[in-house]
Amino acid sequence: MPAWFTPAALVCGLLFAASPLVIATAPYESTMGLVQKIFYYHMPSAWMFLIASIVCGVSSVRFLATGDARHDRTAWAAAEMTVLFGLVTLVTGPLWARKAWGTWWVWDARITSSLVGWMIAWAYLILRKYGGAGSEKLAAGLALFGMANVPFIYISVNYWRTIHPATTVVPRLPVSMGFPLWYCVIAFLLLFVLLLKLRSRVAEQAARLDALYLALDEQRS
Amino acid sequence: MMLLLRALSASLVILVVLVAPLAAQQRDRPDRRPPGVVPPNVPPLTLPVVHGDNEWLELRGRLGRPAFLQAQAKPTQQEEFTPVSELPPEEQLAAAPLLIGAYAFVLAVLFGYLVTVSRRLSAITRDINRLTAEMKTAGRG
Repeated sequence: MPAWFTPAALVCGLLFAASPLVIATAPYESTMGLVQKIFYYHMPSAWMFLIASIVCGVSSVRFLATGDARHDRTAWAAAEMTVLFGLVTLVTGPLWARKAWGTWWVWDARITSSLVGWMIAWAYLILRKYGGAGSEKLAAGLALFGMANVPFIYISVNYWRTIHPATTVVPRLPVSMGFPLWYCVIAFLLLFVLLLKLRSRVAEQAARLDALYLALDEQRS
Repeated sequence: MMLLLRALSASLVILVVLVAPLAAQQRDRPDRRPPGVVPPNVPPLTLPVVHGDNEWLELRGRLGRPAFLQAQAKPTQQEEFTPVSELPPEEQLAAAPLLIGAYAFVLAVLFGYLVTVSRRLSAITRDINRLTAEMKTAGRG
């Protein structure tokens, strides 16, 4: 692992450990009260979900264009990040909605398109695991659909009727709510980079292990 | 004479009933309303032809209560206190378990994934070391 990995992991751990204290300083929102504080984990995880989809798509394009296996490994790792942060988003959202909206789930454009993006990432991983030889190129094509879905997820609240908060909420946040949010965004972004690096390292070592098995077979035969 | 008196009194009542909401509408025009004053719920003014008592009652019903009566309406009085435990489930839902559940879920999932990836990496690294040692042994033999 690179030299920066361990210090960055320590900083990330400290950021997450202190995050409840920082979030506790944020004031209660006027209509939703205490439950609105789910926002400080829900929204950064949603952003990481979208960033992971973009990283997966861009790496897949680079893999298809160059054939470089490093890009393929990054795309695979990013697909797992998409599933991970998508799961966090799709679970914390209903927990918030149950109190704020009085329902666990609504089939509005934002939530439905997020679910579709999450399922595309699952399809990518299933294809990589059970697709056999050549599945990496098919999966790369699938990742493009996942990436194309991202702008749709982001702007959906501005164009379709929904009770989801609009994208104007974050720029208009007061400092007392904005500071905890951006603190959590930094913590989640650092965690995303660390997990992506760690997962890419797993894929890299797995490729090395396969090469070693082949070399050992040749040596024995 | 009686007919004249009856006609005059009817005209007076019609005038009061028709003009009062009209006056209220004029008073509550946005350009006349002082800031912060909420307009009363006065239905739109219509002028049907009045032929008899039934139509008169209908007209009265359509116009709603006159403004001077609306101004006297009192806020509803609370007749009993209800404990929060007797509210419907959706109204007594506490926020804290949802909030704590969300945060616990996020931290558990992220930590669980970190542990899984670390174990996968450790297992692969162990296999690589074992295979490297085997290759060295095979190369010597």
